Amino acid sequence: MNAERQTVYRWSLIWSGALVALVGAVLLGLAITRADAWARVAGTLGLSTLSWGGLLQALNALGLMPVQSALPAAVKPVGTEYVIAGAAAWLVGWVVIASGIRRAPVSSEGPSPAAGATLYPRLAQYRDFYWSTLGAYGGGILLAELVLILLQTFLSSGGGSAAAGESSGLAPTVAFAVSLVVASLVAFACGFVGASRARRVAMPEATIGVIYLGLPVPILLTLMEQLPDLQLSLGYRLREVTYLADMLGRPVIGYWLVFSLLVLMLVLGINTGFIAAGSGRLDLRLGFELFVARRHVGVFRPSLLLGTLAVLMFGIIPPLIVYGIIRAVEAAVERTRIRSLGLQDPLAAASALNRLKLREQSPTMMMTALSVGGVGVGVMALIIVLSVMSGFEEDLQKKILGAHSHVVVSKYAGQLPEYKRLMEQIAKVPGVEGQTPSIDNPVMVLADDEVQGIVLKGIDPETVGSVLDLRQNMQPGGNLDHLEQPQKIAPRRTMFGKQPDEPEEEEVEDPIIGKSTTSASDKVLPGIILGRELAAILRVVVGDRVNVISPQGAELGPAGLIPKSRAFRVAGIFYSGMYEYDAKFAYILLAEAQKLFGTDGPSGIELKVADVDDARRISQAVSRELGGYPYRSRDWGEIHRNIFSALRLEKLVMGIILSIIIVVAAGLIVATVIMLVLEKRKEIAVLKALGVSDGGIVKIFLAEGLQIGVAGGLLGLLSGLAWCYFILKVGIKLDPSVYYIPALPVKIEPVQTALAVVIAVLVTYLASIYPALKASSVEPVEGLKAE
Amino acid sequence: MALLSIHNVFKSYFLHGKRIDVLRGVSLDIEKGELVSLIGASGAGKSTFLHVLGTLDIPAAGELRFEGRNVFAMNDAEIADFRNRTIGFVFQSHYLLPEFTALENVAMPALIQRRDRTETYASARELLERVGLGSRMEHRPGELSGGEAQRVALARALVLKPAVLLADEPTGNLDPATGEGIHQLLREVNRDLGITAVVVTHNEVLARSMPRRLRLVAGQVTEA
Repeated sequence: MNAERQTVYRWSLIWSGALVALVGAVLLGLAITRADAWARVAGTLGLSTLSWGGLLQALNALGLMPVQSALPAAVKPVGTEYVIAGAAAWLVGWVVIASGIRRAPVSSEGPSPAAGATLYPRLAQYRDFYWSTLGAYGGGILLAELVLILLQTFLSSGGGSAAAGESSGLAPTVAFAVSLVVASLVAFACGFVGASRARRVAMPEATIGVIYLGLPVPILLTLMEQLPDLQLSLGYRLREVTYLADMLGRPVIGYWLVFSLLVLMLVLGINTGFIAAGSGRLDLRLGFELFVARRHVGVFRPSLLLGTLAVLMFGIIPPLIVYGIIRAVEAAVERTRIRSLGLQDPLAAASALNRLKLREQSPTMMMTALSVGGVGVGVMALIIVLSVMSGFEEDLQKKILGAHSHVVVSKYAGQLPEYKRLMEQIAKVPGVEGQTPSIDNPVMVLADDEVQGIVLKGIDPETVGSVLDLRQNMQPGGNLDHLEQPQKIAPRRTMFGKQPDEPEEEEVEDPIIGKSTTSASDKVLPGIILGRELAAILRVVVGDRVNVISPQGAELGPAGLIPKSRAFRVAGIFYSGMYEYDAKFAYILLAEAQKLFGTDGPSGIELKVADVDDARRISQAVSRELGGYPYRSRDWGEIHRNIFSALRLEKLVMGIILSIIIVVAAGLIVATVIMLVLEKRKEIAVLKALGVSDGGIVKIFLAEGLQIGVAGGLLGLLSGLAWCYFILKVGIKLDPSVYYIPALPVKIEPVQTALAVVIAVLVTYLASIYPALKASSVEPVEGLKAE
Repeated sequence: MALLSIHNVFKSYFLHGKRIDVLRGVSLDIEKGELVSLIGASGAGKSTFLHVLGTLDIPAAGELRFEGRNVFAMNDAEIADFRNRTIGFVFQSHYLLPEFTALENVAMPALIQRRDRTETYASARELLERVGLGSRMEHRPGELSGGEAQRVALARALVLKPAVLLADEPTGNLDPATGEGIHQLLREVNRDLGITAVVVTHNEVLARSMPRRLRLVAGQVTEA
């Protein structure tokens, strides 16, 4: 009579099958070891766990088969017998395991009295798999990915070929942001439609859809990094996508983060679709649900909010002490009052005591406060740390861009003797603010006993100010213009009696080359400007003499090629605040540099652009203006790509690590809302009896979780901004010799700050889904019995 | 056509893995405006029968028709709506929501429908006056006595003027005098508002005072 057939497990078969399969696995492992292929196999296994790997590998193997058979026998990989035996044992093992799982035979009892009666209609209609839902979910995630890639390419390349002439589309980051929003909406909408049509969450469809239709694109992008063939065929088409991902230094992280974001949006869509339409009718109204939810968890009570804010701002201990004192005083006052009341009327005292007891908080309230605090701490930490890192990045960018130009125009090979003509052409490009020709080359610089390898830059003092901050960075005592009038540099006279400056000795023999130089003691030497750190290392001041030795433009000497050496007089010292530059750079006159390096023109033209963030586009425009090859122009992002991508990656990883705090807080929210659900089982049953649909119950408990998330997010925002403001105004001192910056920098980026709050709220929303679904599955009858 | 008609309903529950068939093919018609009592031994399935009648419980098989419409074939939202508009429940325990005042509790079914707050509260106030609780509207359930809470629960069941009132031992937790007050109210509701009422009870005297009496024995409902 029991139509339900149970599964019977024959454990002896299952265990022996597992043993055989294990033997097979060991044999396969042996074969891999003998072929020394673990590294490759591990990679493949990793892909296989993502489920698409299997298919890819199968295709790969099919493709390789003819190649294999063509190879002579001697080259065949070792351990073939192990592979065959291992694979066979592996398969046999699984067959044995499968044979150990059987359906129980049909029960021999007779039919129940209900046999033949109408089955409960909704049970009769029930289906647990919908191909259309699978299509909506899987197709949705795939569509979102394609939309993202195509839209980003379209937007940042300026709408294809049509507008290729003048403007070249949006800045890559803006294009990415726009496409990401659109793709997220697509994923959300597809999840919504799928779930609202299926009227259930439909986890199997979602899993299958994401794995089989969603994963291929990020896997392809990941593989593109490694497979040259793929790179060749796709790399060019996807250049906008890879360019942006490359800005992170580790593009793969970018691809997978974006993929997880799209999956997240799909899940949110699925859940929202289920809530809105899961009970058979689209209903997005929330008024009643919020009304109930606010009564269940009083998150927005001043005492809770102020208390949590105090903990976030001042740490746990001080507010706790203040709270303890307040409560103790309050209790003492109340007791005294009740005692005096009781002396007159004992019953009045009893009811006053009762009222006092009613004010005590339930453990769920405590949990709520903890969850709010947890989310708040996460958001606050995220905001503070990201703002400080943004501050460092901004500081670094400012310093780098102060010492370096925004865009450099050069030839693929050779110098630019025609730079005057090029500069006229470049000046026509809108957005270019200043330009200066320059040469830079690595040289050795020495003064007395100190030697240092540096980059020597030939500059044009007239125009250099329009591009670099060199003029502003000059230390008092020196003068940039003295480069052109070296006779104005006062040679340093003897200052200490101990070490007399003896020009005769100096000029007679050059210490390195060992060759007499013809310079007289007060001969006018060309000027050089050194960085402050470099001057300190060389122990020179303005007016001192230094020698520059260049391997470039070497001269033919008696013993073959010898490096060229020239003497310079220090005309000034600059201080940019970046150790790297202050220790590694020196400037001389362009003409002197040309002479020193034996070139007939500058090696490049440095440009300053109006909008630093627009440098890439302007750089491209310049390149077009000059007609491309042999000229090329690179923007600062490209030149200093390593340092900025390292910074961005660091920030991203920091963000991910700090988000773990939010995830932990989300765990707290799950626990809190589950406790609420357990506590309110009876109320849930009553609400259902009064006519609240399952979707309504889900909404109520989601709203409860969301209240915690929103309160925590706002408190975190408030305290995070307050801390940032504090750091900005009061400042936290840093050791300048270590950090090269006097105080902790802070830059509050609105988008990033808002994102921290939005992520926190999204995570709490996700965290509340499970308990809310649990709440909606409370059967009214069960809840009403639980008295 | 009968207002409420159930046909060949089966329902079992499971105790320690054993199936206990509480309803074995129950069929019954209830006409509009009837006042019906249902008696039976403890554990005979009276409450289960009432829950199935009120769509709170899902039967294994069978049909429930309200004015000819097949209720169980509706989707979840429609069933919730049906419960909200057509059925009023009173249980042995009052089952008021502890976070809300008496007034809000009474207004709850109308609030679920997202009706206008002021109108809803006005009619809820009127109902509370009528059950004699005009002075306790702003009190929470924890501050009401058992009889008062049960009267609030009755007002809540009636606020949307449902077609059917299902009462599951509404006086089981009350002393006889208070219980008699509730019974009086139930009769008034049936007489004045024309609401069909099914009352599950242990009280033979009360059952005999109802025009139609049913008895649930061995999974079958018979007229007593």
